[in-house]
Amino acid sequence: MRTLVPLLFVLIAVCSAQQTLDEKVQNLVDLTTRQSIVKFNMDKWKNLVRMQPRNYSIIVMFTALSPGVNCPICKPAYDEFMIVANSHRYASTESDRRKVFFGIVDYEDAPQIFQQMNLNTAPILYHFGPKLGAKKRPEQMDFQRQGFDADAIGRFVADQTEVQIRVIRPPNYTAPVVIALFILLLLGMLYMKRNSLDFLLNRTMWGFVCLAITFIFMSGQMWNHIRGPPFMITNPQTKEPSFIHGSTQFQLIAETYIVGLLYALVAIGFICVNEAADASNYKEKKGGSGKKTAGVFSLFSIPANTLAIVGLVFICIFFSFLLSVFRAKYRGYPYSFLFS
Amino acid sequence: MTSKTTSRVGATTLLTIVVLALAWLVGFASRLFAIVRFESIIHEFDPWFNYRATHHMVQHGFYKFLNWFDERAWYPLGRIVGGTVYPGLMVTSGLIHWILDSLNFHVHIREVCVFLAPTFSGLTAIATYFLTKELWSPGAGLFAACFIAISPGYTSRSVAGSYDNEGIAIFALQFTYFLWVKSLKTGSIMWASMCALSYFYMVSAWGGYVFIINLIPLHALALIIMGRYSSRLFVSYTSFYCLATILSMQVPFVGFQPVRTSEHMPAFGVFGLLQIVALMHYARNRITRQQFMTLFVGGLTILGGLAVVVYFALVWGGYVAPFSGRFYSLWDTGYAKIHIPIIASVSEHQPTTWVSFFFDLHITAAVFPVGLWYCIKKVNDERVFSEFRLRFERQANNLFISVILYAVSAVYFAGVMVRLMLTLTPAVCVLAGIGFSYTFEKYLKDEETKERSSSTSSTAKDEKLYDKAAKNVKSRVPDCVNSNVSSPVSCVLSVRLCVVDGNSHYAFFFCVSFMFHNANEGEETGVSSNVRTIISIILVIFLLMFVVHATYVTSNAYSHPSVVLQSSTSNGDRLIMDDFREAYHWLRENTADDARVMSWWDYGYQIAGMANRTTLVDNNTWNNSHIALVGKAMSSNESAAYEIMTELDVDYILVIFGGVIGYSGDDINKFLWMVRIAQGEHPKDIREENYFTASGEYSTGAGASETMLNCLMYKMSYYRFGETRVGYNQAGGFDRTRGYVIGKTDIKLEYIEEAYTTENWLVRIYKRKKLPNRPTVKEATIPIKGKKATQVNKQDLTLTFNFNSLQGKNKKGVIRPTPTSAKA
Repeated sequence: MRTLVPLLFVLIAVCSAQQTLDEKVQNLVDLTTRQSIVKFNMDKWKNLVRMQPRNYSIIVMFTALSPGVNCPICKPAYDEFMIVANSHRYASTESDRRKVFFGIVDYEDAPQIFQQMNLNTAPILYHFGPKLGAKKRPEQMDFQRQGFDADAIGRFVADQTEVQIRVIRPPNYTAPVVIALFILLLLGMLYMKRNSLDFLLNRTMWGFVCLAITFIFMSGQMWNHIRGPPFMITNPQTKEPSFIHGSTQFQLIAETYIVGLLYALVAIGFICVNEAADASNYKEKKGGSGKKTAGVFSLFSIPANTLAIVGLVFICIFFSFLLSVFRAKYRGYPYSFLFS
Repeated sequence: MTSKTTSRVGATTLLTIVVLALAWLVGFASRLFAIVRFESIIHEFDPWFNYRATHHMVQHGFYKFLNWFDERAWYPLGRIVGGTVYPGLMVTSGLIHWILDSLNFHVHIREVCVFLAPTFSGLTAIATYFLTKELWSPGAGLFAACFIAISPGYTSRSVAGSYDNEGIAIFALQFTYFLWVKSLKTGSIMWASMCALSYFYMVSAWGGYVFIINLIPLHALALIIMGRYSSRLFVSYTSFYCLATILSMQVPFVGFQPVRTSEHMPAFGVFGLLQIVALMHYARNRITRQQFMTLFVGGLTILGGLAVVVYFALVWGGYVAPFSGRFYSLWDTGYAKIHIPIIASVSEHQPTTWVSFFFDLHITAAVFPVGLWYCIKKVNDERVFSEFRLRFERQANNLFISVILYAVSAVYFAGVMVRLMLTLTPAVCVLAGIGFSYTFEKYLKDEETKERSSSTSSTAKDEKLYDKAAKNVKSRVPDCVNSNVSSPVSCVLSVRLCVVDGNSHYAFFFCVSFMFHNANEGEETGVSSNVRTIISIILVIFLLMFVVHATYVTSNAYSHPSVVLQSSTSNGDRLIMDDFREAYHWLRENTADDARVMSWWDYGYQIAGMANRTTLVDNNTWNNSHIALVGKAMSSNESAAYEIMTELDVDYILVIFGGVIGYSGDDINKFLWMVRIAQGEHPKDIREENYFTASGEYSTGAGASETMLNCLMYKMSYYRFGETRVGYNQAGGFDRTRGYVIGKTDIKLEYIEEAYTTENWLVRIYKRKKLPNRPTVKEATIPIKGKKATQVNKQDLTLTFNFNSLQGKNKKGVIRPTPTSAKA
């Protein structure tokens, strides 16, 4: 009999604990039916996250969303986190949804939790596993290395809890809408000007468009787009900014602009030279009355001779610059022109 | 008068032929650097497979080749070679070999393979000449032919020994495009059929045919949209499309792709659209305007909508394959990195820096926008001309559009992928040729007329003096040929010496002094003759600089066989390192005929080609999971790797290690890609972050992580490397490629043993040990008092099953490495 009493107590304790566990899960499920994440305050935090009888995981993001706190990456991180949480809410199975819950702690709502966890940075993502003791440090996701996009968070969750979340990203309508509006605008303008569609046949415009495309790609802007290099590098010792990176495998944004500009200037030089010859040809043919020669440069009525020399100087100087920039990157290239 | 004109035509033809022949010769000769320096050898990786396949075809005949099942590749899967290869290359060299044989010139098929690409560069030059001639003028054609013959962007893929599809495909590309332009110009079915035939050749030679089967429809579509539809377009496009589709389906590797993949659907869509437009033109004069509008505006919308719906239904139903990953990665530039690491890992699939644009194109890169500009300017010139000219010009304009589209799309693709520089180069050469010829035409021709009027005697004298020498220059500057260049020539010769010496600025100063010296007659009306002279000379200097640059680049950057390495000693002697062939020869001589060699996929073709041994993976990266398995074996620890290797029947493992000589393209530098690819398939076992140091860097040095230090690749690369010493005061195991001392020097191998290491340690071959049935427990693992046990990995426990029982409960002294995750 004496032994029975403690046993009974134990049983009761176990039953009550069992109940609270069920209650807790039910509580969490209730909380996550309306919205996909739980916003923790101190009470819920203690009760649902840190108290032991648990058979579920909680993924908690610590963040500071209020505008008073200066945290530029909190918002995008929160958005990605929400995408995962929403995908979990809509796409995961019932049993999975009882295994993993998503929560958030905002600094403004509960600074005590931050203090308790000894945190002074945000955003941070923690996984509180089912077996995690009250004082143990939870698993943290490394944003530095893995990034914080929804797929990475989903992978982190899958690693930690073995619950696979199929990340469903809500389609982003802004880009298509902007494009559609732009196209509509263009079509509208075309419709307004339907009586004089000659500008579409304007070769100069098309020429500029095509040349712009050419210069953009030849100066390696696509590389910039994919690799995202810095604009320029400042030498940490001398504080001297350098615009040109000394390796052929890498480039800075500044140097691509320089190179694109140099290409354009050489091409302009060439066009000048040709326009000069064209202008003089027309003049010879039409006896000096050929003011209406085709070309952009005839607008300025520069004498053909000067134009040709200007063009030539353009070609020589800017191509030499181009070669110099190339030499600065490609060590050991032996040929130069004008400047070393 | 007539005799004069005929003689002039004859002279022009002769000169054209001479210039083209010289271009061929120069193009051929400048591609022989590798042969002169090393020997007649097949380069790099893919060419080795092509060579092996060609060899097989020559030995066994064409039909045997088509049915060839190669059991020596992709062990244990094998590879159906006939159905997974573009046979154009092999057939071409096989044909040349057969012709030479029947003419009793007996050459080894290897020689044919080695010299195929340089030979075809001459044909490319000729095709480019014809294309540019159709587009602009014969003069521009000659320029373009000379440019393409030596342009580094094309040379990079066609040096002697680089026996690859691209070498002949660029010729096919240019020729197909020329025939398309020609058929559009004439509207004849004959040219269109020839175009289809040439396209067939292109399809059989290179996967890049997708470019042209999308470019031609794009051109047709642009013409329709611009209201330039004509019966010529209809005839040429429809006959081309029908024939080309049927012909391209004859290539086994392509099969039903032309009707079943999305890449080919635009061509089909344009074909359908063209029928509607033709019907519209037919009906326009036969029905009233009202009927016409209802019929076509209504009909077109319904048809267009229907076509889109049907297309998506077919894709959804699986009848038409959606766009392939490689295709997506061209548009969505981040796609490959996330979804297809195997594509992203290849260096030639990286985006292009501006340096490689300039490196491959030099002055032509700066001038080709000029050619583009004038092509665009000419597109709508017709209003200026009379009715007769108008018709002629309209046709010409259609052609300009083609080259504009070609250039703009190619420059985009070249920006996305280094490899597609190759498709840009011909367009650049054509347009730069147009740019230069446009300028030279003006600046040399007008001088002629002026000279006649002013009749200067001194120039005539010059002409005689330098006439002989001038011919050397003319080969480079074909357009000078048609007009009497007199005064520039003397300059050019002195200038040329300066350029070749690398002092081109002296040349410039020379010209400037010449300009001031002669700046006496200033003409108000146009460009004075002196300025004309100067401009011509300086342009010639630029051309010479291009030649010098092209030669330099070809010689220094593109003429390395990469099978044989070269370095120089401190006193300038050449040092040839022949480690690759040494290792492959060792394999050939010392291993069983059916031995399986595991290596990273880069070396699969070489092992098959040179060592004639079975490989697990090779450069035909068709099976990602198989590659991932090899990657997993390389990046697991020894015992886990042993299991994989046993499953795959591996006998030998081959790694490339450059730490001794400082060769940067070795397996340690590629290792991260192996990890990534393995992680893609086995995310549970392999995790990329485990291979980084605590600070998140990739390193094999002091801070390297435990996983890194224990993986098979690390062990195989650095086995016994700690015993090497570079200098007296340097610690052992200094890695010259990475520039630091490695993290772990006392490497012990348990499941594999070193079989062979080449002279410069470049290739290291290991043999998989046959373990005895009963695992022996090494003495060291039994704890002895006072003696520390060796390290035992967790996985070792599974193999040495009686390990625990032997030790009992006393686990003291066994250091178990905790699985380290790099999480902070």
